[in-house]
Order: sequence, then structure tokens, then C-alpha cells
Amino acid sequence: MAPFLTRREALGGAAAALVLASCGGGDPPPSTGPRPGSGAALLGSLLALEHAVVAAYAACEEALSGETLRNVRVIAAQEREHVGRLEEVIRDLGGEPPPGRSAAEYARTFPRLREPGDALAFAEDLEQRPVRAYLEALAELPAIGLREAAASIGADEGAHLAAVRVLQGLPAAQGPFVTGAL
Amino acid sequence: MAERGDVDVLEDLLALESRLISAYEAALRREAIDTALGERLRDDEREHARAIEQALRHAGRRSPRASVPAPELTAALRTRTAFARYALDLEASALSSYAEASAAIANPRLRQPLGSIMACEAAHEVALREALGERILVA
Repeated sequence: MAPFLTRREALGGAAAALVLASCGGGDPPPSTGPRPGSGAALLGSLLALEHAVVAAYAACEEALSGETLRNVRVIAAQEREHVGRLEEVIRDLGGEPPPGRSAAEYARTFPRLREPGDALAFAEDLEQRPVRAYLEALAELPAIGLREAAASIGADEGAHLAAVRVLQGLPAAQGPFVTGAL
Repeated sequence: MAERGDVDVLEDLLALESRLISAYEAALRREAIDTALGERLRDDEREHARAIEQALRHAGRRSPRASVPAPELTAALRTRTAFARYALDLEASALSSYAEASAAIANPRLRQPLGSIMACEAAHEVALREALGERILVA
């Protein structure tokens, strides 16, 4: 680990990157069924990411309480809904949704979240990934219906990112363009 | 040059941004919103408008549409709570419009940037709910 890495970076950004690289987008896409170029492979990668995010929020919940925990549970419930929506869309395309890994496998890659601040910093860095992934998918998904699904979930992820920022006492929006600019 | 449909979409988004900017400017003048929050939201919307105007220039835009203040705005400026609710409705409309546009616009290079504005509008909703003392996320 680089000596200049801050504690927040160690707990948040680096850990989130590791978690999502090892548990999320790196998972293999569905191998049979849908035709090439249908978007199912990309949706499979998004689903793998969502599985990792769901597991990560479960870890965050253990360090939280009160109103903060209530809000994080709302986020986690919405992430589980995203899993269900993506599974449905992948099946509609003739694919087999990737199942995700076991809770123990995910847990091994998470940082130790001792305090609420640790959990929220981790959650903020975590949320950057799905926001970016869904927005990138907008440019790549071939059918408008698939892009509508990605936009809808991406909007939720934008709200989640804002919420975890507010829970840390930060402004909801980090800037006018959450990723990129026109 | 973008298809005419894309220009229409961008002009509609620009009109929405103009309404948001006007609303936040008026609220700041009338102290109907916390200054720091109002300035942050207004500045974000100005950046969105600037970016869309730039995209329109690339696409060969028509003359900007004239807009008049919405009558509901006057009533909304009477209290901070009324304005926050009014702004929340406007932001919800913007969020929905950007979600639709980011999926439907023909030029694929515009989809991600429009999505990034969509995510910012989602954050604005969270900020306004916080200002209202409401739950920041809708279950």
C-alpha cells in the first residue's frame, strides 16, 4: 500500500475498487443463450456488480445504527430490486443471470468497518462504481428498452450516492456532472 | 449534424434548465431557500444549461425558446417549505426528462453525459428532501 494513502482512501476507494474488481465486473458474462450484441453480456456484468454491492451494504449495516441504518437499509433494498430487474431483463434476452458469489466470498474482500464513518466512506466510494457503470452502459446497450432500464437504475444509484454523502454531512451533489460532461 | 429529434430533445432539456435556474435565482433573491444550498443548485443548473447549449451549437440549434416565469413560482416563493416542494417537483420532472433523454437520444455520445446530469438531478432531489426535513430517500 502506498505510504501516502489516507485512511479514508484505504477504507473506501481502494477497498471498493478491489471489491468490485474481484467480485463484480470481473465475473464472466452469461455464456449461452442470447445472441451476440444483445446487451445481455453487459447486463450480466452490471448484475455481478449489483450482487457485490448488495453484499457490501450488508457489511456496512453492521457498523451503523439509528436513522443512518434505516437509510442504508432503504438503499440496500433498492439494490436488491435492481438485482431482480436485471435478472428479469437478462432472461428476457434468453440469457442466464450470473448468480453472484457466496456471502463469505464477498466478505473476505471487504475492509473491516468498525465505525459508522468507515461504513459510509466505503459506501460512498462503492456507489461511484454503479453510477459510472450504468451511465457507461447507456452508450453501449443496443435497444432503447434496455437503455431505459439502465437509466432508471442509474438514477436510483445517483440518489444513493447523494444519500450516503448527506449521511456523512457532505453536500448531496458532488458537482454538476456526476461522471463526465457534455 | 444530429437528427432533428436530438435537437428537439436538447431544446426541451434546455427549457427545463432555464426554469430551474429562474426558480433558484428568484428563491435566492426572496430568501426562499438557504443561500448555500440555493447557490449550489443554481450553479449546477447553470453548468447543465451551458453544456446543453454547447451540444446544441454542435448539432445546429434553432433560436432559443422564450420562456416566462411559471405562475406557481410566485406562490411558491412565499415560504421556504413551499419553495422546496416546488423545486422538488421541478427536479423530479428534470430527472424523469433526463432519464428518458439519455436512453432515447440518437447520438450515443450524448447518452452518458445526459445520464451524468440525470444523476446530479437525483442528488438535488435528495438535497431538497433534506432541506424539507423529510426522509432523504423514497422507499
